[in-house]
Amino acid sequence: MNDFLTGATQIFTFSTLIYMFAGSIAGIVAAAIPGFTVTMAIVLTLPLTFAMEPLQGIAVMLSVYVGGYTGGLISAALLGIPGTPSSVATTFDAYPMARNGEPGRALSIGVWASFFGTIISTIVLIFAAPPLALFAVQLGPWEYFSLIVFALTIVGSLVGSSVVRGMLAGLVGLLISTVGTDPILGRARFDFDIEMLQTGFPFLVVLIGIFAISQLASEVEDAKNIRSGNSLVTGAIDFQTWKVFKEVLMRPVNLLRSSILGVLIGALPGAGGSIANLLAYDQAKRSSKYPERFGKGETDGIVASEAGNSATAGGGLIPLIGLGIPGSAVDAILMASLMVHGISVGPRLILDHGDLVYGMFIAMAVASFMMLIVSVFSMRLFLRITQVPKWAIVPVVMTCCVVGAFALNNRVTDLYLLIIIGIVGYAMRALGYSLAPLVLGVILGPIAETNLRRALMTDADMSLFISRPISLIFLVAAVLSIAWAIRSHLKNSKTTKRTSNEPAS
Amino acid sequence: MSNLSHDKAMEAGEIARLLSYFIILIASVGLFFAASEIPTSRFETLGAGAFPQIVCAAIGLLSIVAIVDSLRKISYLGYGRFYTEVKAWMCRRYLVFITLGALALYILVIPIIGFSIASMIFIFSVQVILMPRNTKSIVIALITALVFSFGLNWLFSEVFTVFLPRGVF
Repeated sequence: MNDFLTGATQIFTFSTLIYMFAGSIAGIVAAAIPGFTVTMAIVLTLPLTFAMEPLQGIAVMLSVYVGGYTGGLISAALLGIPGTPSSVATTFDAYPMARNGEPGRALSIGVWASFFGTIISTIVLIFAAPPLALFAVQLGPWEYFSLIVFALTIVGSLVGSSVVRGMLAGLVGLLISTVGTDPILGRARFDFDIEMLQTGFPFLVVLIGIFAISQLASEVEDAKNIRSGNSLVTGAIDFQTWKVFKEVLMRPVNLLRSSILGVLIGALPGAGGSIANLLAYDQAKRSSKYPERFGKGETDGIVASEAGNSATAGGGLIPLIGLGIPGSAVDAILMASLMVHGISVGPRLILDHGDLVYGMFIAMAVASFMMLIVSVFSMRLFLRITQVPKWAIVPVVMTCCVVGAFALNNRVTDLYLLIIIGIVGYAMRALGYSLAPLVLGVILGPIAETNLRRALMTDADMSLFISRPISLIFLVAAVLSIAWAIRSHLKNSKTTKRTSNEPAS
Repeated sequence: MSNLSHDKAMEAGEIARLLSYFIILIASVGLFFAASEIPTSRFETLGAGAFPQIVCAAIGLLSIVAIVDSLRKISYLGYGRFYTEVKAWMCRRYLVFITLGALALYILVIPIIGFSIASMIFIFSVQVILMPRNTKSIVIALITALVFSFGLNWLFSEVFTVFLPRGVF
């Protein structure tokens, strides 16, 4: 209770609330721009939080996160282009509803569904994270190492189109993390007498290069598209805020089911909003009395997609707070920002920094209220954002990336690393490697290595990894996740082959 | 894009991936041996080089699996067409190469001419390259370039006390 009150006191200060409010606006604005993902918005917020208190910084980033999920809705509903990958399913019904002359109603439904999704996920987070952390502190280095193996295999096999490339990306991430001094004895590794490699690859520079620079480069691939402008849906927009509020609340089963699904998917490493919105939409369609209305502007479709993707925000924090394992790239950035402030993230986080964790819970709830207020009162203004052309955005965001990479350590050599990593990231993206496993590999590498070496320093017997039950469960789960991914991959390629053969036969 | 040219492009993509697997395999083998030269310690079973060696070995094995899988998918004729397909792919994405080249140049000149001037030139010139050229767009580009170069520098130095490179002048 003491921690809860201390956390609340830190959140409810004038400066924190103002920063959070600005973060909420920034998240909505950024995600409303097609091609600008929530991850990129949070990466760019990070350098601005260096000068803040740890909780204040995290609260601002959570506001950007929650706001970002709503911002993706704007371009999804009005342009039919998902602002972020998390709002793909939103386009299925919100866009037809907007085209049918109800753009305001489509946006309002999305905003309310997002709000309830975040609140439900925060409630689950408050109840699920502390017991998980209490359980996790009893785990030894054997269990931790096996857990990371499981997390990496599930990320590698779930994300992207190829299991092998996903796993390769994760392993390359682990290898990148070994450059520099080793975490136990401090010996130099793979620096080849090059000064900028001696301190290793700074995680945030890797993150900015891999996600932001490569994403921005891919935005200018189509020369014709970038030199033309998209126009927004025209006509009067009536938000019908309170009418829609009742309409959304009249669908408690859909709202709860989609939110719980979002929380569960968010808690699973590797999966996130981009999967949750599609699964929640699919479930809503299957259980609807009128599945034929889906895809034509059905309210249930928008509610399911938006509640599902917003609920992953709280879900993703469960393994981060409970186990110290980030479930997604965004959670990895949140973890990195705590590490910048010298706070080690792991199951002891809630025991050593209870005020910070409870502050995060409160910040999540406050952020969702702020998102609601900002959306309801200034949605009309945000509609203009979708008209900002890509040619204006790309170089500006690249400059912000350069500032972010430099501000971390005030080192110009980090900028050289940034461009090299950016080019490699773009090449990997173009070759069909998924980048999320690589980033998680970089952040989980030192944790995996430390636990492996600590386990063998405690007892040199390797069989302990399979004789300790919890460790064995994680390793079996890792093998099963690979087997399952290979099976579904083979099944998909068979179906594709059959479909491509059909016209000929 | 017709079905035939789409298939050709897909095959060229697979050859490019095959090359990437080879690069990863060679790098992992090289780093495996480099890691074996890292001195071990008397105080622990695994030395500082063991974990990188395990990772390199896993990368090597997976790369071989990927190479075998990729070789099955590529037809004999595909290799002959590879150069032409890659050239066409690069021509279609010329703006990506210009943008990344400009970014590299921008980063190289920051320590010499300073953040503000370098950023202004970078933002304005890349916007001019990417934009549909008319007076309105050029005015917008000029304002954006000024705000996000000198403005950003002012914000970081005055509000966040983070000092961006000033250059040698």
